[in-house]
Amino acid sequence: MEKTGKSRKRLRAAKELNRVVTEYYVECGRAKAEGKPVGWMPPMNGAIEIFYAMDIQPVFPENWSPICAAFGLAERNFEVAEGMGYSRDLCGYMRNIIGYVHGLMKEEGTPLGGLPEPDILLSPGGGCVPVIKIFQALERRFPNAKVYPADLPQVPTEEIRQHHVDYAIAEIHRLIDFLSQATGRKLDQDRLKEVVKLSDRSCELWDEIMTYRRRIPTPFSAAEIGIMFVMVTRQGTQTAVDFLTTVRDEVKEKSAQGLGVLEQEKIRLFWDNIPLWYNMGLFNHFEGMGGVVVAETYSSAWSLRLDVNRPIEALALKSLKSYPMVSCVSVDKRVEMVIKACKEYSIDGAILHRNKSCLPITLGQMDIKRALEAELGIPSIVIDADHMDSRNFSVEQFRTRVDAFMEMLLARKS
Amino acid sequence: MSSELAARFHDAIENQEPRLRTLAAQGRRILGYFCTYTPVELIHASGFVPVRVMGGVRTLTKADTLAPSFLCPYMRAALDKALSGEYGFLSGIVQGYTCDAACGAVRIWERNIPGEIYHTIALPYCDSPSSRRFLLSEIDALTVKLRAIGGTFSEQSLADAIELYGKIRRLILKLYQIRYDERLSIQASDFLAIIQAGFMTPPEDYLRMLEDSAPITGPSVASERGGTRVLVSGSLVEDPKILDLIEESGGLIVADDLCTGIRNFEPVSGFGLDPIQRLIDRYMNRAPCPCRSRVSDRAPFIEHLLERSGAQGVIFLFQKYCTPHLADHPSLVEHFKAKEIPSIAVEMEETGVNEGQLRTRLEAFFEMLR
Ligand code: SF4
Ligand code: SF4
Ligand code: SF4
Repeated sequence: MEKTGKSRKRLRAAKELNRVVTEYYVECGRAKAEGKPVGWMPPMNGAIEIFYAMDIQPVFPENWSPICAAFGLAERNFEVAEGMGYSRDLCGYMRNIIGYVHGLMKEEGTPLGGLPEPDILLSPGGGCVPVIKIFQALERRFPNAKVYPADLPQVPTEEIRQHHVDYAIAEIHRLIDFLSQATGRKLDQDRLKEVVKLSDRSCELWDEIMTYRRRIPTPFSAAEIGIMFVMVTRQGTQTAVDFLTTVRDEVKEKSAQGLGVLEQEKIRLFWDNIPLWYNMGLFNHFEGMGGVVVAETYSSAWSLRLDVNRPIEALALKSLKSYPMVSCVSVDKRVEMVIKACKEYSIDGAILHRNKSCLPITLGQMDIKRALEAELGIPSIVIDADHMDSRNFSVEQFRTRVDAFMEMLLARKS
Repeated sequence: MSSELAARFHDAIENQEPRLRTLAAQGRRILGYFCTYTPVELIHASGFVPVRVMGGVRTLTKADTLAPSFLCPYMRAALDKALSGEYGFLSGIVQGYTCDAACGAVRIWERNIPGEIYHTIALPYCDSPSSRRFLLSEIDALTVKLRAIGGTFSEQSLADAIELYGKIRRLILKLYQIRYDERLSIQASDFLAIIQAGFMTPPEDYLRMLEDSAPITGPSVASERGGTRVLVSGSLVEDPKILDLIEESGGLIVADDLCTGIRNFEPVSGFGLDPIQRLIDRYMNRAPCPCRSRVSDRAPFIEHLLERSGAQGVIFLFQKYCTPHLADHPSLVEHFKAKEIPSIAVEMEETGVNEGQLRTRLEAFFEMLR
């Protein structure tokens, strides 16, 4: 096993995914060239649908980071950011994007054409601190961009009340007004409905795709989780729906035929926290011992439906719920979701990635560990690593710990 | 080291646990909070004693069971203390939303430390009529929750609490003025003790302590100390040793941008037609912490303090792993560099600081400033 490496993908749709990724970034570059407004925004909120509905090109700096990791550009970006004084203790997404916009972005020849400069920055007032600070740093880097200072109350999902929804709705209206002024484009209500419908359809497909993983053997593993690219960057487009339909069809067919990732699936694993983007090959490591990662917390971020008849409210709720659901804003909810998933997906053991680069997703993990043991008797191990910075990851330690864990699980099962 | 003036404040810190335990045994209900963005007036107006949860200086034995090593030492120490039963006098936590660490800590405490209420107020990030309306609803929701556990909120009790805390803040700010004019007889670690004691003493008692302290209300004492004038900036300073170290190495701390410092006191109050509006106004205009504001808000605030105090440089004191402060650091440094204001940064780890090394760095820094 190497310190960095790509995963072995088995779905035919994986090839299709490469095309979708490339096309998205080509589209971003083309938008700039054609004078279409380009807006940079954080992921996991209801603004993406507004951007697509108003024909503004959304760009996601956080999604660019996994791409940099996969292309081996992260080290260079970290070097630039750390040279500017950004601490190594800061989230890797933050160091990567700041390093990129001050370094590689100014050069030619970046994979996928790099990111186009923003005309608009949606600078969040909610979500994690790193994401807020990333955008504040971008405000300084791109002084000509029009800045929308957004706001979003952070509430555990189970505690969302009407006044939270009302404020989130008011904020979406404010965003629409801002975008109209900044771009001269109007929001067409019918178009918005259409986009929200597509977005909801992609969530529905997403959920359906995930349910096939409950089958034993599972038709695909976390090694294929790159498919969530469309949930991050393409929600509200036909592209997302088409791609997810392709994935669904393939997964459904595999399930019907009883085809699994492994012929002899012995151990079903759960993964908590963000994957190691520079080493997705880790997910294949378990396969050698008959283990498959069949579910993960991260993918639940898109497991929510949108009420097409009340599009603005639906987007407000999406904004309110998406980040809390996967972070320490809603630890209770997260524990509950993990327990539910572990039951539904017949999980034998859980791998908790203690992610140096992401405090908000890591906090509460020990509560998940305790709950798994207490409520389901499911054992778990904690792996110290980092989703962006390979310097915080030791392959040897990973292998030793995971192998011992797998052996224990195998012994328990036999 | 500590002067007589500071002795009672040091005592309040050292004996906080037995005191607060006794208070709780006598039937007073105590609620904890982490960040100074928590409207303590509201807690007080509901009949609870607000106490800021601190970590203190301790060897951690239990925090690892629930938190990663890369959580800030403050939150780790506080959790450790709570898990060791030392916060048994609290009825729970009410916290104003600030950073990821504090946000997660509330939820982890809720699951692992017994208490009646664990609540985070979803503070708005932006200030606008609509965000203020939202905050009003958020406050209403909290008072309802507090009422359910015996809270006694009324508009009058809020007005009283605002007045009480206003008096405290005014006295402390007066102390700052004396400090800026270099007429303060106590060292920075004693000054910190005066402020820290306020976090863990019922405000009525604390006000009395402040009023009884001659140099605050009486004639000021001319400073006998020399040293290079500096401002310290960061989140919490818990261990006063670091401040002593700075002053022993040739520095004179004349101003701070800390949340165990001036950010807790500015502004004294807010404007509005009724107490709730005044409360909202204060918290929307609070002295800026990095998780709730931009560098463009923080830099002028710090610069003003530098000007007022005549500090010649900035010493950043970071809690290790504290994302909000670390994230702002490079742009603040750049900003200050452009204005020829030198700065250095010190990280405070769970185990403290490396004294020898730090002394050398500080001495070089002061040498350069001279
Ligand atoms: S959620 Fe985690 S990984 Fe994402 S920006 Fe925030 S800290 Fe970084
Ligand atoms: S600096 Fe951080 S710990 Fe201190 S009050 Fe502000 S947000 Fe809270
Ligand atoms: S602002 Fe910094 S020191 Fe304060 S709780 Fe958050 S991480 Fe810890």
